[in-house]
Amino acid sequence: MLEVRGLAKHFGGVRAVDGIDFAIRPGEIFGLIGPNGSGKSTTVNLVCGLYEPTAGQILFEGQDIARVPTHKRLALGLARTFQNIRLFANLTVWENLWMAENAPAHQAGTSFLKRWVGGRSDARERITRALEFSGLAHRADDLAGSLAFGEQRRLELARALAAKPKLLLLDEPAAGMNAGEIAQLDERIRALQGQGYTILLIEHHMELVMAVTDRVCVLNFGRKIAEGTPAEVQADPAVREAYLGTA
Amino acid sequence: MIVDIVQTLLNGLAAGAAYALLGVGFTMMFGVMRRLNLSYGATLMFGGYLGALLASRAGGALPDAALVLLAAAVTVAGATLAGLYVERLCFAPLRGRSGVAAMVSSFAVWMQIEEFSTWLLPLHTNPYPAPFNVASWQLGALTLRPEHLLTLLVAVLVAILLHRLLRASRFGLAVRTLSDSPAAAQAVGIDAGRTTLLAFLAASTVGGIGAWLVLVADQQVTPMFGMWSMAKGLIAMMLGGLGSIPGAVAGGLLLGVLEASGQALFGPQIRELIAWGALFLVLVLRPGGLFGRAAFDLDIAAHQRL
Repeated sequence: MLEVRGLAKHFGGVRAVDGIDFAIRPGEIFGLIGPNGSGKSTTVNLVCGLYEPTAGQILFEGQDIARVPTHKRLALGLARTFQNIRLFANLTVWENLWMAENAPAHQAGTSFLKRWVGGRSDARERITRALEFSGLAHRADDLAGSLAFGEQRRLELARALAAKPKLLLLDEPAAGMNAGEIAQLDERIRALQGQGYTILLIEHHMELVMAVTDRVCVLNFGRKIAEGTPAEVQADPAVREAYLGTA
Repeated sequence: MIVDIVQTLLNGLAAGAAYALLGVGFTMMFGVMRRLNLSYGATLMFGGYLGALLASRAGGALPDAALVLLAAAVTVAGATLAGLYVERLCFAPLRGRSGVAAMVSSFAVWMQIEEFSTWLLPLHTNPYPAPFNVASWQLGALTLRPEHLLTLLVAVLVAILLHRLLRASRFGLAVRTLSDSPAAAQAVGIDAGRTTLLAFLAASTVGGIGAWLVLVADQQVTPMFGMWSMAKGLIAMMLGGLGSIPGAVAGGLLLGVLEASGQALFGPQIRELIAWGALFLVLVLRPGGLFGRAAFDLDIAAHQRL
């Protein structure tokens, strides 16, 4: 589904990501972990297009998208959430979803007028369903900026799903959550896999990653140090050293 | 006494309605780009000069009404076209990068556009075609001047249209997502470059309409118009709060009323002083403007821009 080859991103002299490779198979939950500053977030930003790589390829369903602009990657089937929630705070919950699900890139066939000036009625039913699914139906007309933290996280996920992506990038979805919320998140991620989504999960919270992923790639200092099933990776001496400082 | 107050208020609101449009154009540009466009006034002056040029070359050959309408069209189109030039030259290549560099280059383009305009019409004072050979109307003791009514009417119309555009249309919402989070906007499939350009052009058009309203009231355009319109737009924008469109409308109206009151009480020399004094007071007492967030919030937002 997604294959990264020799991907590198340098900021001046800093090699944030320094030639990594991994491949995600359709339908799996693929974890990307590593200590702080290991290059996880940079990798996500490369995959979703906010950064342009210094070198390497990003193949999505066989097509190299490394230089495709971010807004066009959504139409290809690549959606993401953000570690530090980035909603459209001054738009309502409903409008947040509308902007995502009705994204113009999706409807190349429709006329300019319909895409840009057109009304909201087409989307109403789909958005109502999405709001019910994420338990936000009662807040549809509130500004996204006024939601509680947990609701904002749910809205961000709903916004990513509204685009009907094939691959979903979850950037530290457990950040700031308590144990109960993480358990719910665990269930929700599995449910998404059940619905046929392929998921790239970037996460700090080790228990969640180990419980939910099929395979894990471990980064340290911008390089891949291990890849395999959660059990294999946990047993890897290089991973232990990176996390604990001892072999 | 009451009549004087109402008359002053009316004069102030009419002038303020034009200031409001100048401020709205300015603030829309800031809202989507988090950049100050220093050539804003110059693009409006260019539009005004094109209108005056039309009058000087073709004035005799056209019926008055046609000349007035054509001048309006040429002025608004000229401001929009100059806006296109500025956005492509100064802002598009540096989007997401150095804000200071973009601002400095817009300053250079200000000078360039101003020089070009005065090369087109080298005289200091150029007559601008205006529709008002009608006398003012008397409503009791109140004087209703036709240019005031025109300004109020047009400004309200533009404000309503713009409000609908930004609140209800997908394009308007896309513009607002860019002010909220450019990274997330791109992640949901919004083309940040194109949306910024279109919003910039819409802002130039709104500014051009505001400039036209001022010019038909003045019936002339001078090389000072660029600086003047930018100052009025800037004060209206800052009074209301950077990036806030309702703020710019309120700021423009407030500025108009303050100026008119100052002039009624202390004479015309005080007018400009009042404007700058009001800006100073608001910046000291409420730096985010009457409607806006604090300026440093926006500073942070500017650093996070992609």
